[in-house]
Amino acid sequence: MKKFIANVKRYKSYMIYSAKATLKGEVAGSRLNWLWWILDPFLFMLVYTFMAQIVFGKSEPYFPIFVFIGLNMFDFFNRTVTRCVRSVKRNKGVISKVYLPKYILVLTEMLVNGFKMCVAFALVVLMIPFYRVPITWHIFEVIPVFIVLLLFTFGASCIVLNFGVFLTDLANVITVLLKLVFYMSGVFYNIMKRVPEPYNTLLLYGNPMAGLIQCARNAVLNSSHPYYDLLGIWFLISVLLCIFGVRMIVKYENSYVKVI
Amino acid sequence: MSEKIAIEVKDLHIRYKTVKAESIKKSLLSLKKSRLEEFEAVRGLSFSIKKGEIVGLIGKNGSGKSTTLRSIAGIFSADEGSIDIGDNTISLLAIGVGFNKELTGKDNIYLSGLLLGFTHEEIKAKYKEIVKFSELGKFVNAPVRTYSSGMYSKLAFSITAVLETDIILIDEVLSVGDINFKKKSLKKMKELINDSDRTVMIVSHSIETIRKLCTRVIWIHEGQMKMDGETEEVLAAYQEFMSDEVVDEKQAAKVKREENLLKMWDEQ
Repeated sequence: MKKFIANVKRYKSYMIYSAKATLKGEVAGSRLNWLWWILDPFLFMLVYTFMAQIVFGKSEPYFPIFVFIGLNMFDFFNRTVTRCVRSVKRNKGVISKVYLPKYILVLTEMLVNGFKMCVAFALVVLMIPFYRVPITWHIFEVIPVFIVLLLFTFGASCIVLNFGVFLTDLANVITVLLKLVFYMSGVFYNIMKRVPEPYNTLLLYGNPMAGLIQCARNAVLNSSHPYYDLLGIWFLISVLLCIFGVRMIVKYENSYVKVI
Repeated sequence: MSEKIAIEVKDLHIRYKTVKAESIKKSLLSLKKSRLEEFEAVRGLSFSIKKGEIVGLIGKNGSGKSTTLRSIAGIFSADEGSIDIGDNTISLLAIGVGFNKELTGKDNIYLSGLLLGFTHEEIKAKYKEIVKFSELGKFVNAPVRTYSSGMYSKLAFSITAVLETDIILIDEVLSVGDINFKKKSLKKMKELINDSDRTVMIVSHSIETIRKLCTRVIWIHEGQMKMDGETEEVLAAYQEFMSDEVVDEKQAAKVKREENLLKMWDEQ
């Protein structure tokens, strides 16, 4: 644990520079450049709004914001995990030349996607007065939600990164799995209303993404508390995942170079 | 020359587990069979190198030279034993280094520098020199994936050469780029090696290279120390040992190329 913190400190400037450079590199080639970070979730929000409101005729109050919160949070998790599967292979050149604790790669991905998420959430902030959502002190309760989201993403990504080195087709499996999680997370529908009992509670508590998204919506849109019992449980699980993931990386990272 | 020890290797063991990356189906099917065959590349190597020494590492193919070098660079960590390089900065010069191909040359210079343990300011101070040395010109601002292989290796060499680390590990003497750049890089390397504060380890197949550059030679045989001492002494024994070994063509060509380069070195 001490070593982990020391390493994070030591490689801090590397992570930040690397994340910045990646972000810069991503937009350098496109015409609308950084606008894509807003446009991408925005356009998807339109797609899901169309699906839910027009095709299925099921709406929620403040629907665009409702979708947006779910989409941004899920995208962050989804992108980070997907990219971490191949992270070691992608950075092969760097890794086979200098030592770099591999969880630094995970943290770098999180910085990149976290930044994108922040940009996308700026839009949410703009939309709140536009849709006249009542603002209450409950909004501060998103903070514990995001802490759990970050921890869970980090833990899951570390584990996936480790297995991604040894299993060549893990990326395919993860893509399908994440798609499933996406539809089970209630990004464009309300799990509690649309899924019959008792499956809705099961889904909410069993799928961390569903639970976290619902908690964030409670805090922002419904002026109520997030489910603190749910947050507590997933906080503990996430911490365990993080410890397990980092341990696993530390144990096996020497053999990564020998495999790729 | 100070008597400070720069690299301390104690009872180093490095094992390769022959785990290959495989598909999920395969790994499920072969779950029962033990897939872990172990191969020990380095078996109990100990030595210490004083600051400023230039040490050659010799041995025949597969004797664990490169593995040792890479583990000193920190890429593999030891399965057993320890490697202590104090708080020295260290870099590995090898052919075909890696960059993040989507990023620009400039970004890669900074990232490599940060990884080698330099601060942002230190790199900024040397940045112009690196670009100048690499002869990339305005291409530094283009993504590395657009580079030719020559430009690629020139940049790689320039970064490690200009950002002089305390310890330099050289895996096979470099031959980079066109003839002019080769001359330039040799000159730079000579400078680096001759600096009495710098510790250098060289892996090479060419006896001539080692004889010319090194003050001390370590001979590794099948992952173990065979001999350690004065250059001439070790080389003589090594030559005698190798005289009845069959040298394959590819390696002979490599040695030849290196020795040609060495001639150029003398012309400097």
